[in-house]
Amino acid sequence: MLLTKKASSQAGTRGRLSRQVAGYLGNTLDRRAFLKRSGLAVGAGAFATQLPFAMIDKAEAAKQGGGETRVARTVCTHCSVGCSIDAHVQNGVWVRQEPVFDSPLNLGAHCAKGAAAREHGMTDHSARLKYPMKLEGGKWKKLSWDQAMKEVTDKMLAIRKDSGPDAVYWIGSSKHSNEQAYLMRKFVSFWGTNNCDHQARICHSTTVAGVANTWGYGAMTNSYNDMQNSKAILFLGSNACEAHPVSMLHTLHAKENGAKIIVCDPRFTRTAAKADYFVRIRSGGDVAFIFGLLHHIFKNGWEDKEYIRQRVYGMDKVKEEVMAKWTPDKVQDVTGVPEEQVYTVAKMISENRPSTIVWAMGQTQHSNGNAVVRASCILELALGNVGKSGGGTNIYRGHDNVQGATDVGPNPDSLPGYYGIVEGSWKYWCRVWGVDFEWVKKQFASPAMMTKPGITVSRWIDGVLEKNENIDQDSNLRAVVYWGHAPNSQTRGKEMVEAMKKLDLLVVIDPYPSATAAMAAMVRQDGVYLLPACTQYETSGSVTASGRSLQWRERAIEPLFESKPDHTLMLAFAKKFGFDKELAKNYKIVKDKDGWDEPEPESILREINRGVWTIGYTGQSPERLKLHMKNQHTFDVKTLRAKGGPCDGDYYGLPWPCYGTPEMKHPGTPHLYDTSKHVMDGGGNFRANFGVEKDGVNLLAEDGSASKGADLQFGYPEFDHLLLKKLGWWDDLTEAEKKEAEGKNWKTDLSGGIIRVTMKNHGCHPFGNAKARAVVWNFPDPIPQHREPLYSPRPDLVDKYPTHDDKKAFWRLPTLYKTIQQANKDISKEYPLIMTSGRLVEYEGGGEEQRSNPWLAELQQDMFVEINPKDANDRGVKAGDYVWVETPTKARLKVKAQVTERVGAGTVFLPFHFSGWWMGKDMLEYYPPGSAPIVRGEAVNTATTYGYDSVTMMQETKTTLCKIAKA
Amino acid sequence: MTAAALVPLGLVAGCGEKPVTVYKAGKYQGKADSQPWDNERFKGDRNAWEKAIKDRSVAQNEYARVAHSK
Amino acid sequence: MARMKFISDAERCIECNGCVTACKNEHEIPWGVNRRRVVTIDDGIPGERSISVACMHCSDAPCIAVCPVDTIYKTTEGIVLHDKDLCIGCGYCFYACPFGAPQFPQDGAFGLRGKMDKCTFCAGGPEADGSEAEFKKYGRNRISEGKLPACAEMCSTKALLGGDGDVIADIYRNRVVFRGKGSEVWGWGTAYGKPEKQQPQQQPAAQGAKS
Repeated sequence: MLLTKKASSQAGTRGRLSRQVAGYLGNTLDRRAFLKRSGLAVGAGAFATQLPFAMIDKAEAAKQGGGETRVARTVCTHCSVGCSIDAHVQNGVWVRQEPVFDSPLNLGAHCAKGAAAREHGMTDHSARLKYPMKLEGGKWKKLSWDQAMKEVTDKMLAIRKDSGPDAVYWIGSSKHSNEQAYLMRKFVSFWGTNNCDHQARICHSTTVAGVANTWGYGAMTNSYNDMQNSKAILFLGSNACEAHPVSMLHTLHAKENGAKIIVCDPRFTRTAAKADYFVRIRSGGDVAFIFGLLHHIFKNGWEDKEYIRQRVYGMDKVKEEVMAKWTPDKVQDVTGVPEEQVYTVAKMISENRPSTIVWAMGQTQHSNGNAVVRASCILELALGNVGKSGGGTNIYRGHDNVQGATDVGPNPDSLPGYYGIVEGSWKYWCRVWGVDFEWVKKQFASPAMMTKPGITVSRWIDGVLEKNENIDQDSNLRAVVYWGHAPNSQTRGKEMVEAMKKLDLLVVIDPYPSATAAMAAMVRQDGVYLLPACTQYETSGSVTASGRSLQWRERAIEPLFESKPDHTLMLAFAKKFGFDKELAKNYKIVKDKDGWDEPEPESILREINRGVWTIGYTGQSPERLKLHMKNQHTFDVKTLRAKGGPCDGDYYGLPWPCYGTPEMKHPGTPHLYDTSKHVMDGGGNFRANFGVEKDGVNLLAEDGSASKGADLQFGYPEFDHLLLKKLGWWDDLTEAEKKEAEGKNWKTDLSGGIIRVTMKNHGCHPFGNAKARAVVWNFPDPIPQHREPLYSPRPDLVDKYPTHDDKKAFWRLPTLYKTIQQANKDISKEYPLIMTSGRLVEYEGGGEEQRSNPWLAELQQDMFVEINPKDANDRGVKAGDYVWVETPTKARLKVKAQVTERVGAGTVFLPFHFSGWWMGKDMLEYYPPGSAPIVRGEAVNTATTYGYDSVTMMQETKTTLCKIAKA
Repeated sequence: MTAAALVPLGLVAGCGEKPVTVYKAGKYQGKADSQPWDNERFKGDRNAWEKAIKDRSVAQNEYARVAHSK
Repeated sequence: MARMKFISDAERCIECNGCVTACKNEHEIPWGVNRRRVVTIDDGIPGERSISVACMHCSDAPCIAVCPVDTIYKTTEGIVLHDKDLCIGCGYCFYACPFGAPQFPQDGAFGLRGKMDKCTFCAGGPEADGSEAEFKKYGRNRISEGKLPACAEMCSTKALLGGDGDVIADIYRNRVVFRGKGSEVWGWGTAYGKPEKQQPQQQPAAQGAKS
């Protein structure tokens, strides 16, 4: 049997203990292996010797107090699957972690990160930031909270006075709860700027923009659980086994029940190891590959013609383009995939419907990312999969609350709920917040700046470094606040330290601020402040999983050390800035043990419920969410619907859109745009958001296509007071509702009356019933185009498929495309290897938190590069050797070589979770004492190159070039 | 060190999935262990303990939570 | 009567290491000691498979046979445990074990080999159940709480099953029926002896079983 073979000879190069154990399965045993096996030879800096059982001491202390054990149900913070965790707490100490079999999302299951959640900095040797600190004369110094808050806010106010509110850049977080993310957007607005952003920019911004512009909402259409209903699952740009391990519970269950799993990737990933069919594709060739699939689908007539006729706009134009431009030879030229393989995949997903496509950052992080994701949408539309259980576009998001933070959080171009930032949007939200619009307007530098999208987190460094005359705001950025965001997740790290050097002020608010701190301390002597925030286990609030389900986290323990919850800190800042009354007007305030004012998360969620009608964040009251958490066992795993019990009929976590008021009892929407269900059962259709016709072509759904039981069985526009009156439904409103709804539409009617009447009384969808758009005419490439990456290994393809023209002012900054591509057209002569990056299961994001967790750090001790044996041999590199990876920026990374056929010849892969080495040097001396993570290594983004998406400013991380030499 | 203990060493070296040789073990010399149901939680009720273990065993089966039309 | 067993399903294991950290978490295992680990075969090429390995609590445990101080015992439920107070850290059990399960944590500052440590099936040792002494020497005793090993209970894809051998064999067999192809339960024969009635491979699963 296969499994009795010895472990691979590649043992150890990934630092995995499991792989260091050669011959673990049987007989080969020498002393070295023995020592390794018994843990004696494994070292990692200070932890070479046995760790003390430090947590036991705490637990013991607690036991001596004889306290009762309290169980708090919380949700893992390491990814977007949303795994429930029961924290057993004794005398304030989290002593044990138990699986929650009742959760319909994870059924008790965890990956390495989730199973290690309890160790989030509880030990005294923890790398958590324990108290406020500042950099003074090149040394880290402890500060009191009072002193730290005074110094930081005084400096910010001085910068504001000199250079205006846009000189401060606020980087929020996808690890904030919905309430915190929402409060952050409100807080930044009252500060007077749109210069805020968070991880979604560099994670799925292209998805959100591309998908929303195709059919209405920027989110995963179905859910992880719904994979169980798929007949074929195509992973293109997702390595779910490492990035979303628990989702594989549902996927492998589906496979067991006959679903075909297909993986297309530059790497033979662990997900590929579980696939029925694997296709190796050249990194960056995604659009060509997808259109190659469509070529076979159209050629063989496998498309769903009736579905397209009723529900899709512009497919004819796409078909023309695909048949003319993406013949199998051209597809092979661009992607490296032979016709037979493309045909096989096309056939598999056509013959096994409903089929679905899964993607993550493999599709999004490209300079044509918006085109890639739209091509995927078109593929699913052609097959008629969207709006069906088992179908759809299953977009696996990264951080635990990146979906929620995108929906209601600090986005530079929108207020909560995708309301935008035009004057009307501001007036609407001022009404919800109960503040005077004129007052908010005065907080901004000018009315023009109030409606101008801010700089993105992917480009803040250019907001500092770019010549002032080239940027589209008065002052350059002078202060940056990293509020729950890693620095090593953004590209062009070499330039980032230059930007850090030039700033007047850098503030880091985080449980683990050390990567940012160390990078800054490497180039600065002062002007850096670190403020300790607590983790989500130390506060409460709601979190939105990738499948749009909201879950309520109970507070497990009090904030550790001197840390504070982020929303408490936002209010504290607001006090110093003089707008705390306005910020917290609608909130209940709770005093914490140190006398700080905490705005109660429940009351913040109620404000969200009152304002975010657009995407249905209105029905998920704190009470309903808490009821779901208590009754998880009543939900079916395959449909997510409760059978009986107090949540009867609800879908788990009231997946948004959960329309109307909580009293309307909308059950949430398990699969977007599903016409087979009544709208009050979670059904729907595509959104009418782009007009009723385009160049004489009807954009509304064709006759006969509407959600089940709708009074209008044809296409219709979105609802407002006029349409209600025209249809004679106005009098269904109560007098009070009429008063509020007059002159409003379904998104701005604070009574919720228009939605109630439309949905409950008439079974119609408030956002109208339209076609999805295969052609998005308002984007730079209305039909998705393959464009070669800026750093391409193929100069010949650069001529055939050039990138965009440069843009002068794009999200306030000049943005280069052709200039860079042309200047580097022949760079592959010197830098011949395609460099791509991705995830490891043990770590997440910038990795600081997990690399500080000994249970996880032990499993991945070295930063590495995966290199094909051919490329390694050509360079005299052996497994385990240190090599230099150099990119066209001249940045050089010293990493260990993992020689493996996981990557094809010509492509190398580096994980993106490491930091703490800088071009060959350990940065240990720059960390605040005691805060360095256990495992440090080169950050791949120190060396990544320029390149941004032409719609959202997503950074290019997946395709650039490098060269490798033995170190 | 007993002779009985030494014999199997040579036999197991090199075994992978091979049938296991029958060993002759010595008599356990350590402290006696109690039964898992002899404690405050189960108060000696072995059936209650076995039911608890069985429930947890079954909880590992996601098929039990999924309706199958097959 | 429960007879405790582990099954590691290679068709499901995705090498996420959840079992490894679940074990670390539950027993607060120090750095360098790995009661459980995941082993991958054919890493990075078609055919790649992973399995989670720890003490398999063998039916005829070679470690018990070779222990010179006879400090390893088997409970009524078939869990292989030991008394650390008698252990002399000689390492014979390690040589005898077909799975490499016994670990030898460092003891003191000079790299001396400490007493043997291994997976207890979350059943502690011969100290009072749930006592501090038991926890310090062996980790938590979930079995006496009516719970199963943390590694299996938390497995991300339910690849690792732990519990009453009859029940988990049924769970596994059911899967194989749906899968419609042969099984790959690694280590069963070695750990639990020649085919016996619960052994999944012996079931008439496979072909045409899907309805």
